[in-house]
Amino acid sequence: MIAFLIKRLFHAFLVMFVISVISFAIQDNLGDPIQQMVGQSVPESEREALREELGLNDPFLVQYVRFAKNAMHFDFGYSYFYNQPTTEVILRHLPATLELVAATTLLIVLLSVPIGVYSAIRPRALLARFFMGVSTVGISIPVFLTAIVLIQIFAIGVTFTPFPSETGWGSWLNDLISTDGGMPAYGRGHELTHVFGTWYTNFAGWDSLIYLVLPAVSLASIMLPLFIRLIRAEMLEVLQSEYVKFAKAKGIGMRRIYFLHALKNTMLPVITVGGVQIGTLVAYTILTETVFQWPGMGLMFLDAIERSDIPLIVTYLMVVGLIFVITNTLVDLIYGLVNPTVKLTGKPA
Amino acid sequence: MTFKKTLLATLVGAAFSLPLIASAQDSDDITLRMAYDADPVSLDIHEQLAGGMLQLSHMSFDPLVRWTQDFEFEPRLATSWNQVDDTTMRFTLREGVKFHSGNDFTAKDVVWTIERLKRSPDYKAIFEPIASAEAIDATTVEIKTKKPYPLLLNLATYLFPMDSEFYSGTTESGKDKGAIVKNGNSYASRHMSGTGPYVVTERQQGVKIEFERFEGYWDKKSPGNVDHIVFTPISENATRVAALLSGDVGFIAPVPPNDLERVREDENVNLETLSGTRIILFQMNEERVEAFQDPRVRKAFAYAVNQKAIAERLMKGFATPAAQLSPKGYDGHNPDLEMRYDVERAEELMAEAGYADGFSITMMAPNNRYVNDARIAQAVAAMLARIDVTVDLKTLPKAQYWTAFDDHAADMMMIGWHSDTEDSANFYQYLTQCPDAETGAGQYNSGMYCNPEIDAMVAAANLETDRGERAKMLQAVEKALYEDAAFIPLHWQDLAWAARDGVNIAPVINVMNFPYLGDLVIEQDK
Amino acid sequence: MSNATTTTPPTHWARFRDSYLFYSFKHDWIAQVCFVIFVIMVSAALLAPWLASINPYDLSQVFILDSELPPFWIDGSDAKYPLGTDALGRDMLSTILYGARVSLIIGFGAVILQALIGVTFGLLAGYLGGRVDAFLMRLADIQLSFSTLMVAIIVGAVFKATFGGATYSEHAVLLLVLIIGLAEWPQYARTVRASVLAERSKEYVDAARVMGFRAKRIMFRHILPNTLSPIFVISTVQIANAIISEAALSFLGLGMPETQPSLGSLIKSGFDYLQSGSWWITLLPGAVLVVLVLVINLLGDWLRDVMNPRLYKG
Repeated sequence: MIAFLIKRLFHAFLVMFVISVISFAIQDNLGDPIQQMVGQSVPESEREALREELGLNDPFLVQYVRFAKNAMHFDFGYSYFYNQPTTEVILRHLPATLELVAATTLLIVLLSVPIGVYSAIRPRALLARFFMGVSTVGISIPVFLTAIVLIQIFAIGVTFTPFPSETGWGSWLNDLISTDGGMPAYGRGHELTHVFGTWYTNFAGWDSLIYLVLPAVSLASIMLPLFIRLIRAEMLEVLQSEYVKFAKAKGIGMRRIYFLHALKNTMLPVITVGGVQIGTLVAYTILTETVFQWPGMGLMFLDAIERSDIPLIVTYLMVVGLIFVITNTLVDLIYGLVNPTVKLTGKPA
Repeated sequence: MTFKKTLLATLVGAAFSLPLIASAQDSDDITLRMAYDADPVSLDIHEQLAGGMLQLSHMSFDPLVRWTQDFEFEPRLATSWNQVDDTTMRFTLREGVKFHSGNDFTAKDVVWTIERLKRSPDYKAIFEPIASAEAIDATTVEIKTKKPYPLLLNLATYLFPMDSEFYSGTTESGKDKGAIVKNGNSYASRHMSGTGPYVVTERQQGVKIEFERFEGYWDKKSPGNVDHIVFTPISENATRVAALLSGDVGFIAPVPPNDLERVREDENVNLETLSGTRIILFQMNEERVEAFQDPRVRKAFAYAVNQKAIAERLMKGFATPAAQLSPKGYDGHNPDLEMRYDVERAEELMAEAGYADGFSITMMAPNNRYVNDARIAQAVAAMLARIDVTVDLKTLPKAQYWTAFDDHAADMMMIGWHSDTEDSANFYQYLTQCPDAETGAGQYNSGMYCNPEIDAMVAAANLETDRGERAKMLQAVEKALYEDAAFIPLHWQDLAWAARDGVNIAPVINVMNFPYLGDLVIEQDK
Repeated sequence: MSNATTTTPPTHWARFRDSYLFYSFKHDWIAQVCFVIFVIMVSAALLAPWLASINPYDLSQVFILDSELPPFWIDGSDAKYPLGTDALGRDMLSTILYGARVSLIIGFGAVILQALIGVTFGLLAGYLGGRVDAFLMRLADIQLSFSTLMVAIIVGAVFKATFGGATYSEHAVLLLVLIIGLAEWPQYARTVRASVLAERSKEYVDAARVMGFRAKRIMFRHILPNTLSPIFVISTVQIANAIISEAALSFLGLGMPETQPSLGSLIKSGFDYLQSGSWWITLLPGAVLVVLVLVINLLGDWLRDVMNPRLYKG
């Protein structure tokens, strides 16, 4: 166990090292920071002095060590655009992203477990096949397109008039398939409740919760099919196993078998995959936040790219790298704890 | 004491709510909550020459004169002025004006402020023409210019007298109170004493500024009835609009073009737009492309571009198509100049110049600097294709565009320009004069267009102090540039503000984009 | 891919006709429909220069006054533009055809690159084992834990930041192939490695080794052919993934510029006009993208069922 931990920590350290080198290299590559700091009329001699003073003439390695040292203290310098420490900027955008991810996770758990279990128990039922069909389609729709379609339907509204609208039944049917729109689809709203520090929450009231609906549904739409399929497959496998058959023979109630014994064993691989999918989820938050102008880290990152705000880009990469490394290590640990039969060394994540 | 919860997007970039104690002492007090895309970086109005700082200047200070909506001068701290000789102007100052500190406003404050402006890195270039300022008596100031200078009144709109007594002396740590320090913690960047309608009561950089109406404000005739102003920066466009639509703030600027329709359709909100003064144009580089040295080719290009189509279709009417640099209201605006657009004529001109089969050029435009900039460039490229000119277009984010612009990296480049002095000559000086690195003339003339005759006309106009006479000269310049097709003008970008019903912004807004909030009226029953 | 097989000489054709693959194809109507749609879409995209009424890259055929016209079934449409026009007045149908072409080129290009990197690394890791295996698989693990899309976004951002916007959009097709190729090779490497491990212990490999063949020859001449069917199955899914990745990158502004639109950048540029009611500019290319990806995924599902290869689980 200890050896495993050390090994994982070493890997984590290695990953962070690689990310930091990449981050630092782009920082170095992006033109002259002096140009951003002084006016155009400042003579070259003064620029050179400032360059020397800031240590920009030092060898690459010396500069990198300085960067790494500061990074250890979470000091990545000032954002060019916000003119504030980048860590502060990140911290301000972090809660929005975390809340979006939390809402999405909640949706995924609440929907994927019942649907997945149902589809495994009744694989031939019409409803189960419908779910499987929808999830195949769902996996083929990019998240930003789902988001756009949701905006069109629920925020802007669509009007269909295939039926004669002069007649009572016709207009009733038309209304049925048309939507008014009106769902909020931009930003987090303004009824946020302060929790502490930079954390303002959307979860404290209906007025703000409604802003979470479309972004969270979009984000969930891409992950949901995957989990439904996974839970179904694992559950099917477990149901074939000897001990479930044995439990059946012992006369234990079906419900108990399904939800207590079988599901418990299904969850293990689901947790692993779920952990690995956090990376994918972060990538998808960038897309979702862009569509909904959700003021989280993803949107901030894209804006930073557009603005060539290097310190902020670098900090984002480091923070996201850290999040990945931590979650992956945790998932491995949990996996090891829950299932001691797994050999903790040399196992592919 | 009423507690009111309100949204403040407290920090640039994210919408957070912050419980705010409205410091209203009695319920009749009127509070305006407003949101801009950014807040002023400092309380020292001479630290930076930027829109946000000028807005602050108009709230806490008063200029000697200010512009009206139709580009006339309105007396403020100066009540009258007269030209003594070619290089001397005498201003008579308003009596009985007090600074926020309680000090009396006198001529020595004006002199002190001019001297400070001439030290400010951002302002010294603009105030360069001024030779000296002298207090004749307590209410008379005489300003001398180095040469006859027709724009002294334009400059006076930037002259917000500061409280010389308040800013003189040294702080406890021995620093000069009047020092101008860029991005620094100078005394002036944290303390303020002006004559303006609002006193800053609280300020958190990047979060909010609170203002309270100055009790001793001299302008008793001002209709303004707002007692408190809470100013919040909300940089995210959609969030800013949402804050207005939900009623969290009463006034926002700018209104992003993508949201104009939403704002216009909302019943509780009024959208105000004015035809702006920022010209968007393309310059044709005569050094990179030999063909552009031929005025017929430049004219052919100008004939090929349909400004009205761009303004109507791409800009959705949120722009005024332009045939020249000077917008309506500027002295140089020549009403005789009309949009060219005539593809047949363009083809004829190309054939005359020997380019009947067209040629290939490169083009660059920013993609996040001006409204719809990248699409405008694509539309122009499409229009040029009509006369067989093949355009290789690249669009760049503004962070990278200006370096490319300075390098003259493409044959045609887009630029938008607003005249700091609200005067036509500023356009010519930066955009069309023969480039000269030493004098800084033609600094943004990426086309390398050079016509010494026109430059001479501009120089003559800049020495003419009679406004009517000078206007004629400037209009002649505008016509000459038009005849020469020195550039391709596209349109003036419109400006937009939006406010809740009852917040009467229409009378106080102006194309300079700093609403005179001291005169703002909020209808109380709303 | 089976259409490539059809062009081979008759003996092969006869063998193919009798194969299980063809048999199951004949009896699976979903596979048939998907295959037909896929072939139609690919050929329409490849023939875009001949099918499209205008060339969206040629600006002389674009009329700004015709901007934002709706498709034919809505009032105010113009018969010249059956699917309407975008904000610049480009014909949507032509733009979509050209856009699909760009998307497909990038998708196939990226998959070829992934396969090259992934198969090489997978063979090396599986056959050589030891440190090489540990290093390569650890690399693959790390990259996969970041998720392929995230890696693509980061690499795209780094490229864009390093090269500057102008250079980036000039070489966008090449860079996107490179980005997506670099981001998604681990899928191949893992699968190939797993097959190699399974094959390596088999007798024919031992025999080859005993006969004194060198490692390179054994890997490429003996083991590789036996890992082809999983590679084939993965490739279909990976093409769909690559097309989605490209669209996502373009949607984020890290992909194809608006002047040479792919389906993703068409969706992106149209999104600005959704609020003003011109939904077709964004939703029509979106629909094409979904159908394309869906049929490829369904074909991939079918292939997996038929070929039933040893796929790396998870």
